[in-house]
Amino acid sequence: MTRAQLIAALIAALVALAVLELVRRRRLSEDFSLLWVLATLGATMLAFWGGLLTGITHLLGAKYETSTIFFFGILFVLVVLLYYAVKLTALIQEVRRLAQEAALLRLKLEEREGEDPSERPGRSA
Amino acid sequence: MRPLVIVPAHNEEECLPRTLGELAREAPGLDVVVVDDGSRDRTRHVAREAGVKVIVLPVNLGVGGALQTGIRYALERGYDAVVQFDADGQHDPRDLPRVLAPVLEGRADLSIGSRFVSADPAYRATLSRRAGMLLFSGLTSLAVGRRLTDTTSGFRAYGRRVMWLCLDYFPQDFPDAPLLIWLARNGVRWTEVAVTMRPRTAGTSLYTFTRKAYYPYKTLLASLLACWRAPHKEEPIA
Repeated sequence: MTRAQLIAALIAALVALAVLELVRRRRLSEDFSLLWVLATLGATMLAFWGGLLTGITHLLGAKYETSTIFFFGILFVLVVLLYYAVKLTALIQEVRRLAQEAALLRLKLEEREGEDPSERPGRSA
Repeated sequence: MRPLVIVPAHNEEECLPRTLGELAREAPGLDVVVVDDGSRDRTRHVAREAGVKVIVLPVNLGVGGALQTGIRYALERGYDAVVQFDADGQHDPRDLPRVLAPVLEGRADLSIGSRFVSADPAYRATLSRRAGMLLFSGLTSLAVGRRLTDTTSGFRAYGRRVMWLCLDYFPQDFPDAPLLIWLARNGVRWTEVAVTMRPRTAGTSLYTFTRKAYYPYKTLLASLLACWRAPHKEEPIA
């Protein structure tokens, strides 16, 4: 095992631990952790199984193993970013819907109470 | 038929009293609701002082998000039609009955108040805006298969079917060309009515500099995709 492989395996293990710890503390949802766990698994496999990287490189027709690593690394980051953009869009839509619902409910409440809660003292507009 | 006038307002405390006063004078008997789109000024208070219902959004959603809120309200309360009316005084309330008429008479589901149906010598736009308007009305006309002169008009009346469709999809910042294309693809019957637009009395335009640069991209993309998006099948649940 080369030094580079050892470092890669170590970092992968650290990231995996960090991800698991975040999930344990409920700072990261299980769904969001999936991508990261998969990535660390991939990195660990590559570190321990030297022939795998060379094999994939040949299969892709790439010249160097480093190209393969960068290719998959960047691909992974792009997929993660796109996934977040989709999640963000969903969140925006949910927040919008909730804001609309809250505004309508507030009007209903104001009509029922016959007063305007925003005009009570001690509340900034 | 019960129509509702929806006035989306974002920081419009200066224009709003005059607009609402004029509405009450020129189009009496119409229900009006102001949607305060997360304003930081006294918009909601001046609207209440004018004696109309006010829906206060806790955050700024954009004019489309505000309108959609108004449409939700209208459907909840059993209105059959809505008119979108600008808070800034650009729209003339005397045009309102004419914009509303095709919808109320059942001739159309969507009625658009257009600056360009008849030449309006008073309306002047900058060259870039004119070019943009030309591009988008051309594109939209192509997409809907009939000449549409004014895609950016914010003076429109919607019938019940369009109101339902707007719950499902409504562009949040610029409800212009993509919305019209999508509605037309859903088989909405639309018509244009000649109106006059006046210069805004105070406040700032929706189309600020950064948005001006972004607008063509977003509208073009959304318009093209609206051509591609499958029409809506059933009426959504409110």
